[in-house]
Amino acid sequence: MNPCFYWIDRPVSFRPGETIAAALLRAGIADLGAGGGIVPGRVFCGIGACQACVVAVLGEGAVEACLTPARPGMRLAPPPSLGPHHERAGHE
Amino acid sequence: MARSASLHVAVIGAGIVGAAAAHFLAAAGARVTLLDASGPAAGATGASDGAVSVASKKPGPMMDLARHARAFYGACEADGLLGGLFHRRSTFLVARTPLEADLVAEHGADLAAAGERVLDVDRPTLLSRIPGLGDGVCFALEIPDDGHALGYEITQRLLQGSGVTVRRNASVSEIVMRAGQAVGVAVRGDVLAADAVLVAAGMGSVGLLGLGDILIPRKGQMVVTDRAAAGRPAIDGHLMAASYLAAKRGIVRDNAHIGLVIDPLVTGQFLIGGSREEHRCDHTTDAVTISAILRDALDLYPPLRERRVLRTFAGVRTASRDGLPIIGPHPHLGGVTIATGFEGDGICLGPFMGAYAARMILGEAPGVDLSMLAPQRFSRVEALA
Amino acid sequence: MSEQAMSELPILVVGGGPAGVAAAVSLAEAGLRVLLVEQRERLGGAIHRQPAPDAPQIWRGPARHRRNWTQLTSRLERVAARIELRTSSVFLGVDGAGRFLCEDRRAGQVFARPVRAAIVAVGAVERIRPFEGWERPGVMSAGGAQVLLKETGRPPEGPIVVAGSGPLLLAVAAQLARAGNPPLAVLERGKPWSRPKALASLMMAGPQLAEAAAYATALALNRVPYRLDSEVLGVSEAGQGLAIRVRLGTVERVLQARQLLVHDGLEPNRVGISLPAPEADVPVVLAGDGREIVGADAALLDGQRAAAAVLARLGRAVPVAALEAALGKARAFQRDLADALKSPPTLPSPETMICRCEGRRYADFTALPAEASAREIRLMGRFGLGACQGRFCGPTLAELRGEPLPPASPPRWPLRPVSLAALASFSMDQTET
Repeated sequence: MNPCFYWIDRPVSFRPGETIAAALLRAGIADLGAGGGIVPGRVFCGIGACQACVVAVLGEGAVEACLTPARPGMRLAPPPSLGPHHERAGHE
Repeated sequence: MARSASLHVAVIGAGIVGAAAAHFLAAAGARVTLLDASGPAAGATGASDGAVSVASKKPGPMMDLARHARAFYGACEADGLLGGLFHRRSTFLVARTPLEADLVAEHGADLAAAGERVLDVDRPTLLSRIPGLGDGVCFALEIPDDGHALGYEITQRLLQGSGVTVRRNASVSEIVMRAGQAVGVAVRGDVLAADAVLVAAGMGSVGLLGLGDILIPRKGQMVVTDRAAAGRPAIDGHLMAASYLAAKRGIVRDNAHIGLVIDPLVTGQFLIGGSREEHRCDHTTDAVTISAILRDALDLYPPLRERRVLRTFAGVRTASRDGLPIIGPHPHLGGVTIATGFEGDGICLGPFMGAYAARMILGEAPGVDLSMLAPQRFSRVEALA
Repeated sequence: MSEQAMSELPILVVGGGPAGVAAAVSLAEAGLRVLLVEQRERLGGAIHRQPAPDAPQIWRGPARHRRNWTQLTSRLERVAARIELRTSSVFLGVDGAGRFLCEDRRAGQVFARPVRAAIVAVGAVERIRPFEGWERPGVMSAGGAQVLLKETGRPPEGPIVVAGSGPLLLAVAAQLARAGNPPLAVLERGKPWSRPKALASLMMAGPQLAEAAAYATALALNRVPYRLDSEVLGVSEAGQGLAIRVRLGTVERVLQARQLLVHDGLEPNRVGISLPAPEADVPVVLAGDGREIVGADAALLDGQRAAAAVLARLGRAVPVAALEAALGKARAFQRDLADALKSPPTLPSPETMICRCEGRRYADFTALPAEASAREIRLMGRFGLGACQGRFCGPTLAELRGEPLPPASPPRWPLRPVSLAALASFSMDQTET
């Protein structure tokens, strides 16, 4: 049984040694959400240059999905994620 | 109008002050050429936070001036000139030690005495406004009437459709004088005739006017992060640490001192500053200073740990020897007006001071008495003679 | 620092692709200490991207590439004692005090190491000619798709269209076909028959021609059409996939696909990397595709050339005439290739996204004053200011303006977005001083 991480709330399984990008694409997740960007994220250049595949690792920060090895249990979401403090921030 | 219609003014320096002066001169009917060694907002205007803040000012004339200048932003926003570019927001003055709390309280009292609204904020209120704020914050005041504007956006708006002729890459080598009166400026061997000259060139003013012992460069290193929110400020106010007030009030003068501000930009990014490095006029940034700024910022506002740094950059503030801006007629050179030395307050004061300089050049009543800022003060001996 | 202390400092080599590894090996074989920094967990670069441990075996292109890499890694093993390898570490540039900064992603820390010289071999970035919709999910760079294929051993699912210009289109399409998902079509913008001279000299290239023939065979066997003088005009969403509006010669069509892979050549990844004066205390030398697009074979040689340049600076001249001659051949090949496929710039529609990071369109660019300075283009246009730091919109704007945007001065660091917490915990590494 392969390990898995979570994209928002959805479990995504991956093979050890694989990047987050590879696992997301295999799970059919191509649209990485608009998040804080203006345009939806997506895996594009594969070499860490274009920054289009940046995802937020909850509790850690943002990383390029194409460079970062997947780890079991990591919780990913479209950036930005300000963490638990900001879930209840009262912005309009 | 009769005077301005025939007037040609050369404005040197296309930062926010020069652009504002050029705009208001042109609006009054003068012909204006705005010259810059590089281009609009190429200097400190384009490398600064956007605080239009009374909260940060030293008590005395600067605090009063900032209140006028901020009100002027409000008026220009209302009449459409700066529509959409000036945003009201609170400044939070925050202390992390009892000593800092005393300083913030004292500064709050000075602000209140100058007529500024100052609100006490207890910790629960503060946390509801700035969720995640550091545990170390033991005292805070809210200054609710401050604002924000981006220097380069203001500069662009002031020049857009103003009728001002903008000359980029036009480094002025000399102000051409005849019989004690300015008659033009020399640009790459050519002379551009002018009836009046305004020098608003920051440190570039030194070479033109010989102000080498009066103007001091003060470098500030800053950081811009990625977005923490989409298209709106990520937190509900500008965080200004007591360390920043200490620097502004002249209590600390040390090139390694960090006067911390965390400025939530309307893009959702954070601008975090900064150092105050006297006599440094290069634009480099270094990892020791930047990491010190970031450690302090993380202590004040820990949610920054999830951000990424996109850019580091440095701006060079032009400070005057006595810490006050220099604005007024040159004491010896007829037809030459100076507007510089705004240090870190150019974005806040710029439009107002530009309008003031324009009125002065047009020979109109200035409306407020800023004689204490006149260049005359640095040549008192000559003035008395 | 004393001369002896200085002579014990390592040479920094950035990038674990063929150029960087060749440089590191050459220096270590000459007896020098090397600090080799690579952003991924393993060496290989884009060309020799290693498969994840359980990934199925796929056809990885011509055998000579694998042979070259195997030889290089076995040389690396023999001198491993002199090479300190820092993987999962991203080079951030040189700060105002001359520190060479790297982010160790695993440790979550930025570190600086005093070094004697540096060789930067960070490869190429793909050039993308933007069209309406290129920023959508489902559109990927052909090179990006290729490295993912190498990593996972699995092609993307669903119908694929490959478009743009350059030999990489052929290579990717052939690899996809051999991996079991041949593309619907390969659209090459260029019209090589209109450039017979360049075409003729390309025919003289040995190994590259064999490589192209192998790719062409793979495409022919899988009945993948390879269309010249053809390009993508725009992409929109269509159900679960993409509706791709294309021009095939003089005919316009709409193709339905799940994936669109785009690529318009390569650009050295040089954003923010400035070279100090040749006589600087700590020389910096570029190598491989990060210096000049020379291709994988020549990148090996260029790594050796960069190592020789560093050795020469240290007073140990090495003969480089043979290297230079071989590089000259590679350069001529790349020039002929570029010439054969050359096509005039296409003017984007006003709605075309130019800067994806900041969401800036071509209309935003044309709204800037014609005489706008580079600074105004950045600040007011917000071009070249986003997270990719102009690596993608930069070449596009250079082509549209007819001249490149001058780099920020002084050169800015970080070269890549860096974790704020990692930068806050910056420390000078004391082990070397």
